[in-house]
Amino acid sequence: MKMKKILFILFISTLLVGCNGWLDVNKDPNNPQDVPMSLLLPSVELNATYVLAPGSGSLGTGLGEDLGVYTHQLSTREAANVYGADGSEYYLRNAWSGMYISTLQNLDIIITKSGESNAPYYEGIAKVIKAYMYSQFVDVFGDVPFTEANKKADGIVYPKFDNGVDIYPALITMLDDAIAKLKTTATVTVPKTDDLIFGGDVTKWIKTANTIKLKLYTQTYNQKGADKAAIGAKIKAIFDNLATTPLIAATADGFMFPFVSQRTPDNRHPAYGGTYEATQKTTNISPWFFEILKGINPVFSGIVDPRIPYYFYNQLKPSQTGKDGNKFEYRVGGFASIYFGSTGPDNGAAQDKSQTVYGIYPCGGRYDQGDALTVDKSSGTGAAPYRFLTYADRLFLEAELLQAGIITTTPDGNDAKTVLNAAMVEAFRLVDYVAAKANGSQTIPVLTGATKTNTYITSILSLFDAGDANKKMEIIMTQKWISSFGSFVDQYTDYRRTGYPKMFDPNDATMAPSGFVTPPAGGDPDRTLPPVKVSCSLAYPRSLAWSIDEINVNKNAPKQKTDPSTYYVFWDPKKN
Amino acid sequence: MRKLTFLLTCLFLVSVGLVNAQSKSISGKVFSADDGQPIIGATVRVQGTAVGTITDTDGNFRINFSGNEKKLVFSYVGMKTQEVEATNNMRVSLASDSKLIDEVVVTAVGIKRSSKSIGYATATMNPEDALGKSQPDFLKSMQGKVAGVDIRSSQGTPGAATRINIRGNSSFFGNNEPLIIVDGVPLDNSQVATSNQTSGGGAYSNGFSSLDPNDMASMTILKGSAAAALYGSRASNGVIIIKTKSGSVNTAKKKLEVSLSSSWSTENVANLPDYQNTYGAGSNFTYSNSNGSWGPKFGSAGNDSVPVQNGDWTKYYPGSFPSSKKVAYKAQPNNVKDLFQTGLVAENSINLAGGNGKSAFNATLSNMNNKGYVPNSKYERSSISLGGSSNLANGLTIHGSMIFSNTSQLGSQFGENQVDGASSSFARTLFLARNWDLAGLPYETPTGLPISTNNSQYDNPLWDFQHNTVTTNVDRIMANFGLDYQILPWLNASYTLGTNVQNLSRKEIIDLGSRAVGGVGQLKTDKYRNSEFESTFLLTAQKDFLDDLFSVKVTLGHNLNERNTARQAIQGSELIVPGIYNLSNTKTQTVLTDETSQRRLIGLFGNVTLGYKNYVFIDITGRNDWSSTLPVANRSYFYPGVTGSFIFTDALNIKSDIFSYGKIRAGWAKVGRDADPYSLVNTYSINLPYNNSVNSATLSAVSKNPTLQPEFTHELELGTQLEFFKRRLAFDFTWYNKISTNQIAKVTIPASSGYDSYYMNFGKIQNKGIEIDVTAKVIDTKDFNWTLHYTFTKNKNTVLELIDGVDRIALSNVLSGSINPYLEKGMPFGYLRGTVNYRDENGNLLIDRSTGLLIKDPNEKMVGDPNPDFKMGLGTTFTYKNFFLTAQVDWTKGGDIYSTTVSTLLGRGVTKDTEDREHTWVIPGYYGDANTGKPLLDASGNEIANTTAVTTNDLYFGNSFAINSQTEWNVYDATVYHLRELTFGYNVPKKLLTKTPFGSATISFSGHNLWYWAPNVPKHTNFDPEVNSYGTSSVQGIELSAAPTTKRFGVNVKLTF
Repeated sequence: MKMKKILFILFISTLLVGCNGWLDVNKDPNNPQDVPMSLLLPSVELNATYVLAPGSGSLGTGLGEDLGVYTHQLSTREAANVYGADGSEYYLRNAWSGMYISTLQNLDIIITKSGESNAPYYEGIAKVIKAYMYSQFVDVFGDVPFTEANKKADGIVYPKFDNGVDIYPALITMLDDAIAKLKTTATVTVPKTDDLIFGGDVTKWIKTANTIKLKLYTQTYNQKGADKAAIGAKIKAIFDNLATTPLIAATADGFMFPFVSQRTPDNRHPAYGGTYEATQKTTNISPWFFEILKGINPVFSGIVDPRIPYYFYNQLKPSQTGKDGNKFEYRVGGFASIYFGSTGPDNGAAQDKSQTVYGIYPCGGRYDQGDALTVDKSSGTGAAPYRFLTYADRLFLEAELLQAGIITTTPDGNDAKTVLNAAMVEAFRLVDYVAAKANGSQTIPVLTGATKTNTYITSILSLFDAGDANKKMEIIMTQKWISSFGSFVDQYTDYRRTGYPKMFDPNDATMAPSGFVTPPAGGDPDRTLPPVKVSCSLAYPRSLAWSIDEINVNKNAPKQKTDPSTYYVFWDPKKN
Repeated sequence: MRKLTFLLTCLFLVSVGLVNAQSKSISGKVFSADDGQPIIGATVRVQGTAVGTITDTDGNFRINFSGNEKKLVFSYVGMKTQEVEATNNMRVSLASDSKLIDEVVVTAVGIKRSSKSIGYATATMNPEDALGKSQPDFLKSMQGKVAGVDIRSSQGTPGAATRINIRGNSSFFGNNEPLIIVDGVPLDNSQVATSNQTSGGGAYSNGFSSLDPNDMASMTILKGSAAAALYGSRASNGVIIIKTKSGSVNTAKKKLEVSLSSSWSTENVANLPDYQNTYGAGSNFTYSNSNGSWGPKFGSAGNDSVPVQNGDWTKYYPGSFPSSKKVAYKAQPNNVKDLFQTGLVAENSINLAGGNGKSAFNATLSNMNNKGYVPNSKYERSSISLGGSSNLANGLTIHGSMIFSNTSQLGSQFGENQVDGASSSFARTLFLARNWDLAGLPYETPTGLPISTNNSQYDNPLWDFQHNTVTTNVDRIMANFGLDYQILPWLNASYTLGTNVQNLSRKEIIDLGSRAVGGVGQLKTDKYRNSEFESTFLLTAQKDFLDDLFSVKVTLGHNLNERNTARQAIQGSELIVPGIYNLSNTKTQTVLTDETSQRRLIGLFGNVTLGYKNYVFIDITGRNDWSSTLPVANRSYFYPGVTGSFIFTDALNIKSDIFSYGKIRAGWAKVGRDADPYSLVNTYSINLPYNNSVNSATLSAVSKNPTLQPEFTHELELGTQLEFFKRRLAFDFTWYNKISTNQIAKVTIPASSGYDSYYMNFGKIQNKGIEIDVTAKVIDTKDFNWTLHYTFTKNKNTVLELIDGVDRIALSNVLSGSINPYLEKGMPFGYLRGTVNYRDENGNLLIDRSTGLLIKDPNEKMVGDPNPDFKMGLGTTFTYKNFFLTAQVDWTKGGDIYSTTVSTLLGRGVTKDTEDREHTWVIPGYYGDANTGKPLLDASGNEIANTTAVTTNDLYFGNSFAINSQTEWNVYDATVYHLRELTFGYNVPKKLLTKTPFGSATISFSGHNLWYWAPNVPKHTNFDPEVNSYGTSSVQGIELSAAPTTKRFGVNVKLTF
């Protein structure tokens, strides 16, 4: 009896002693508490791309999906139609969290770590990406969190928003600092294959940084009261120092993220999955864009762009009836789409197997050799790069600067026409470059040097010669807009800065007489397409609303923009 | 810690000392004179001394006293006290005292107490009542029967999770379901979701459904913190204590008793919408093969036939169509009904129990098989339970039980079909264009690819049911072992060690050809293992003083808990060979999750109950926990509670036949809660390698917090229990106010901070409510009885504080840009926020002049509150001789639901609600400016009334009132009335059974959910707002094309031998 009770006590006592050690089981066995920079850099580069690229597939992705509609290269039935992408829009929210959480947060860790471990190349690369990404956010949103962003370790949970006008100079400083870091030599910890963009080639990063500076300066000259001479001087300083601090000067120098054809995990261009793999397709090619390339639109009347089969893929042959009884609102031969702002009866008709989709250039889709396939995941590769900033972009910037008189000479010539010519040649070469990267097993003709390419360029240049200053600027910006198909953020910026190219407006009496647009006659073999009612009650948004997620929980955020058509980025010429 | 160890040790030393002083020992057993059953917890005292003991779970006692004392005094609440001469092996029967009827209630950690002494609300459910009601889900059978308990079903497919919530949501982001204790061990009731239920996934089950109701002996619900505090951290949402038959074996001497019960029910969809059969597919009276039934009138000129909707039908089955490849354009009135089948619920159970007075056993074998009305959906549960108990000669009682159950669930996938890569089996199921004859045509090609009227937009549901499936198997083992020892007449020690292990394995298939995942097929496997160990040691001392004037009961307890989880989920992409669903048959495999977690907790607690004259009771509890999940400095936390009860009818002696019993009670308690494991230190996550070659990682988006503190819930409750007319009318009323503060939650923070969420202590949430429970024996005669049971539940939930300056936090990300549940200061928990249309200052809608439709306001607003205003239930039982009839109705008042089923029924123009369509409409309102959201004004500054007409089609499919509309129009008042149960049965008279082997026999017929009425949803949708797409999660009031509820008819037989 006694023995048993003593045993009981002993038993209970063992349960109670030593409990301190017993409770020490709270170290996460699943996730590391630290990782090297070489693991962070690849995710940062990929995530930065997702913030900007278009795409509606399972990868989600970012600003491009809506901005492509705003720049009238795409059309859709989604929120972006009639400028309706507000702060609760999926892509916008995705881009916002992708920017600050997936990209900047990890960039800042790289910057801190590189300082601690004497790895200036990592620091330089991180700062180039950071400066570029911030500039894109300022261009799209105006004011964004900057000085207090990503400082939670310092106790800042609710960062204030900084004015874009104050952020730009800081970005220039950041880029200068990055260039200095990238120019140092003999470091131990250097990026190699973990730098997915340039494979650790620091010279290309220096060129990129310098070209971003050129772009940022250029974007500011149109604001009211701009000191154009001062801006010109800063740009001249860049041109004068090319020997030590070069600009992007070849197609392969271009600042681009290399997507590949791997499906799982999905490292294809995000627009590829959203178009080729998605059975229900939400992205259409805008008839406005198509008509400009086709020479139907007065802007380049009668001049057919040889890039069409690289840009678009028609799932229909010109005389083929719609698959599964698909009906169309807009059709010209094999090209089928819907209008911006349409309220027509056929706008909602299913046409997934018949509509025209992205071709090989924007997303690694299929080069249109006229085979009119119903596209699926294996029609293309998805291995097209996302183009942040290309050599062609640089040349278009130079042409614009010359035309605007900000500068009188550039490394590529001292008149706008010469540089525009070079830019267009490079734009075609870029299409060839991408097609070569993204080609699966098609035979794709080379554009560069082809007769139709030369004819096209010549025709555009004669239009340029014949035009007045405004027309000249319109041609430069329109050509840039065409070349940058798929990279929609800068297009949106360029349009707001310069007013070019002309965008479709349902309320414009010439473009849509009495609120109706009529598809070209004889375009649809099934029937005569009726005029389509179009309308858009919202004025053109001069910036995007902020992500509702940020506004909801950031007590230091400004009030949401109720009317983005009156909210201007600092460089906007309409801003007072 | 050390101090307490010392104290406990001292206590034992004292008891050892006392043991030595004893000299004579008498044992015996106490029975109830009413039914011959042993009485548990009866007090046995040596007359004229303070020496006493209580009877154990079998009514046995052993008492020691010195030789010169003769008589023992036996007392028990509700029984007449008796004095009996002490003899060895004495058997004492206690007669009931009608003036003092009282029952024993199992309270926290298994402490049994008389209901008089309890200062808080409890409820009991007799699990027997749930059987034979054509309801295989035990939780659903509780609907409307327990005041204060909110039970909500999710989907109408077999095995779908049922949510239970007591006294509202008290945790912002944590689990808000009560702690479930089965035979002393917590049961993991979590719903393991493999895929996000917004964009797919199945109607997942939860842990509770693996329990076999046939093996349940009792169920006690502790609603408030005061009742539950001793359970510690997880008890702030209340506790459900279940004793299984196997886990509570009674060693009474009885012959072997065998019971058999069987029931069979048919199952059908509860109700389908009233479809219009006048118009078919198309838009604005023009035919097209579109999803909306806005096309031409059937039989109108030029619309007699249309092309076969999908070329695959004529391609693969040319013989079924005329050479024109056209089909008649005519109504298919039953095209939705024909997609479904009549389901079945079959349940069989055998129970064996017996004992010899010293030892006893129980065994239950059960099988339940539920085939749903959706083809290829089923839920099956088999369980084996064994339990035994033995009183050893040395006074030690040993008991133990082992329960094994296996459940298997098969069903299709749901969610919002529009999300990219998704395919919902109900995407079009209820909304088929009125001329589509899916059930009459093949649903797949000869090679098994789906054919529907539009493959790119939805998968043929019949194909989906067969091919896109979720199969879940769960093996659960619950085992426990217990020792009980009466150390001294007034001192008892007991120990239980139990475990509860769950092994879940799941396959989720998206087959080749589906619109989801690009048609290439996908397989997800999910393996989840959860195990929980619980050890509880209790030391109970009980003594009466001063001739029963005062009673004291002290319980000290020690508790250890460990929980382990391991989960591995793998996604295989691109099926290689059709029809083989394993990872080896996929091109690439991706690890979705591979994680383990462990948490541990030590608790020490005490409970002191003081009674005065058996009509005033004060109960004080305290518990200290040490949790592994909190920072070392904050890991120890203490929380106290105090309750009291006062039987004023006894105290003031005002009892009469009219006013039989009156009690008031009050309780206050605080309950602490720890964090999730690994919430303290930031970590990185390893990403999938780029191009399968470059590895990468990112910092986790969740910011951890090394300074977390425990969170606390405080609750005050007041109640009264009043009984009238010789207790034939009983009334129980409770008011409570529960406030949770300093919550540990992953709070959403702005992305610009670098993280999406941050573990922190914040906020304050209040749940305030009342519970009323009324039982009336209206007629109580020998042959005819009529009883009524009424419950009323009202809970008002308010978020009192969030974080300074933060407007609101999304509770969950459901459908960005459409609907999300939010937390916001001053608002109810999880209120729904979504898009709205612009209005002028007077609340009139603003209209877009060019379209005649509404204008979207870019700012989201509150669009609904899913929390009901109140719920009430009424149950009634009639018995006449051997016949019985029971019925249960309930009413949920208020609460809102966002329903894509309703909005799609309207937007697709398929129900009679939208049949009146051959004219245009002018939406009442004024023209507005879409940019500014302000009304347009005429020359004299007045608003301009809208005169722009729209078609009926646009009214429901444009920026207006159903599809493509703003969220505010898709939220409906969820008020609903249900006739839950109706049972009619017959107990075969014993005299008819004398020549049979049966001891008793009962046969009954039952119906479940035979009728419902939701007055505030569009009439012809016949929508039952009880469905929900998010199962047991805190996201409520959102329905995304869920499977409608079911109704069942059944027959039940119960036999005992």
